[in-house]
Amino acid sequence: MANSPKIEIRNLYKIFGSDPKAALEKVKAGMGKEELLAQTGHVLGLQDISIDIRESAITVVMGLSGSGKSTLIRHINRLIEPTNGQVLIDGDDALLLDTEALRDKRRTGMSMVFQKFALLPHRTVIDNSALPLEVRGVGQIERHKEAQVWINRVGLGGYEKHYPHQLSGGMQQRVGLARALTSNSDIMLMDEAFSALDPLIRSDMQKLLLELHVELKKTIVFITHDLDEALRLADHLVILKDGAVIQQGDPQGILVKPTDPYIEAFVSDINRARVLRVRSVMTPLDKKSKYAGDVSPKDTLEHLIARSEGNTSFKFRVIEGEKPIGQIDMQDLVKALVPRGSVSGQQSL
Amino acid sequence: MAFYDSLFNGLGLRVWCDSAPGTANLSMASLLAKTNPETANSGPIFPFPSMDELYQACSSFPQSREFTAAVEDAFLNVKDVLKSVLDPLTQPLSWLLELALFSFLAAPWWIIIPLILLFVWYVCRSVVVTAFVTLSFVFLGFIDHLDAALQTLAIIAVCTGICILLGVPVGIAMAKSNRLQRGLIPLLDLLQTLPTFVYLIPLIFLFSVTEPKLYGIAIIVYAIVPVIRLTDLGIRLVDQDVVEAANAFGMSPRQKLLGVELPLALPNIMAGVNQTIMMSLAMVVIASLVSAPGLGVLVLRGIRNLELGVGLIAGLGIVLLAVILDRVSKAAIARVSTDQTFK
Repeated sequence: MANSPKIEIRNLYKIFGSDPKAALEKVKAGMGKEELLAQTGHVLGLQDISIDIRESAITVVMGLSGSGKSTLIRHINRLIEPTNGQVLIDGDDALLLDTEALRDKRRTGMSMVFQKFALLPHRTVIDNSALPLEVRGVGQIERHKEAQVWINRVGLGGYEKHYPHQLSGGMQQRVGLARALTSNSDIMLMDEAFSALDPLIRSDMQKLLLELHVELKKTIVFITHDLDEALRLADHLVILKDGAVIQQGDPQGILVKPTDPYIEAFVSDINRARVLRVRSVMTPLDKKSKYAGDVSPKDTLEHLIARSEGNTSFKFRVIEGEKPIGQIDMQDLVKALVPRGSVSGQQSL
Repeated sequence: MAFYDSLFNGLGLRVWCDSAPGTANLSMASLLAKTNPETANSGPIFPFPSMDELYQACSSFPQSREFTAAVEDAFLNVKDVLKSVLDPLTQPLSWLLELALFSFLAAPWWIIIPLILLFVWYVCRSVVVTAFVTLSFVFLGFIDHLDAALQTLAIIAVCTGICILLGVPVGIAMAKSNRLQRGLIPLLDLLQTLPTFVYLIPLIFLFSVTEPKLYGIAIIVYAIVPVIRLTDLGIRLVDQDVVEAANAFGMSPRQKLLGVELPLALPNIMAGVNQTIMMSLAMVVIASLVSAPGLGVLVLRGIRNLELGVGLIAGLGIVLLAVILDRVSKAAIARVSTDQTFK
């Protein structure tokens, strides 16, 4: 399954300005973002981005505003044309598609959820949800039937005849989600989909998305500026800064071993006990130890702390399936809760 | 001796000046000067170097009335070509206007008024507005102004319809092309600022005064501006996030226009239609000068014959029509806006 990536982004550059090609040469020759802006008035949007997006996984692209994450996701469905580079979808270069083929790809191959919901205000919930099928020319009865399924699935049953403005933000985004699901495409692009929602509703939506992902196995590209959200959802985490990828990989790995001070500053602020899992902290088994119990590698550290009732002398055995694969010492666990550098540096953010 | 003699002498043009002595017609001023030589040099000490003043010094120089005549000749020269193109092109407008005027007047009042009221109810679904329109028509009928009001209404209906038919596509094209917008805006500005009487002058020469299209064109050219402008504006103001979503789901330009842009721009377009209706009404009164029938004719009679009462009552009728048209179209906008559920 995870052999060849669903979407491959190769050496992608995007430069905004009047003559991006000329600016591209300068960037490739090593000119930085600030310098480029000062000298030529061009804005470096994306710089040499290469990402493999695995099939049926959630790839989260995280970065602060201005880091180019929204620009990046719009290259996948070509709402923005790149200056240079490749976007391969199922091995085919998406940049070579003509208008008609591109439209077809957008209709059937991918769907998108937007930060500001972007629902049609003059249409009811069901008509909004049925939009992707309507675009394809599916008849009304059939498309309403399909849309109804997804409206029920996202928990909006009974609201079919309402207009978007009659719904709360969270409910509107559920419509956005239902619309994306109705298109029944393999790829779902989510551009800060939950960023405009209240924390509690956001948490609900994350849960819903994870459930749907287990159920539907779609390839999801999720953009966020929120590290907690990124860590909760990500199978693969990409961190962008100033239009360049500064680290990507398994989110636990990034958390435990940040390669860049920027990321370190980022990760020092989160609740590590809730995010880190046993797998990231466990050590190989040694035969001599006595174990207080068995845990799963997927358990969070928070869960273990609760289980040990704060006793740091405990050790647990880590079991995956039926096999013991390692052990975890509560002392290591406590150490892992403290981000690197915060003892010596005491640096402020 | 004229003031600018020395100028032409200095430039060495005296020979050219004297080569055509006195061929032009005499102006009243120079005629007076000839009969009474004492007034000849009593002009300002330093006259403005106008065409007439320069002619005084040099009779080869054209007078300003020759300039006016040249403009007229130029227009008359292109007139026939223009007419042979425009006449057949605009003929349907004459037919439409004639048909509308005929059918509004030929139908008995107990058919046409209920029809109008039904239409009003259909577009605005408001009891208050419909009741107001009913009362207004009863009043107009009672004071024997119903036929004139219906004629005015017929002309407005036809002209507004054509304005929408032409204006909305132009507005859409403008919204899609920045270049077209840049090109058209000065033209629209010109049409909107040109005094209404000025429209009539070239039209009178182009078309026969007995033809309805003469005033039809004047009204349409004057009233089409707001519907074009507001269609352009409305489509440009459509939420870009929604347009992006439409693109992301692979809508074709046609699907986007009909399914997203036009519906979302509709309140603005309707505001443009409201303006167009009001401007048609303003123009239809002035167009009575060129044989447009209706309440305007009565106002004109009031002015020409100093029939104060006739003019005032017709004016009241026009005000009543204006209020009806404005209220009905505004109620329709309100209905569209709440249907569309805008913030």
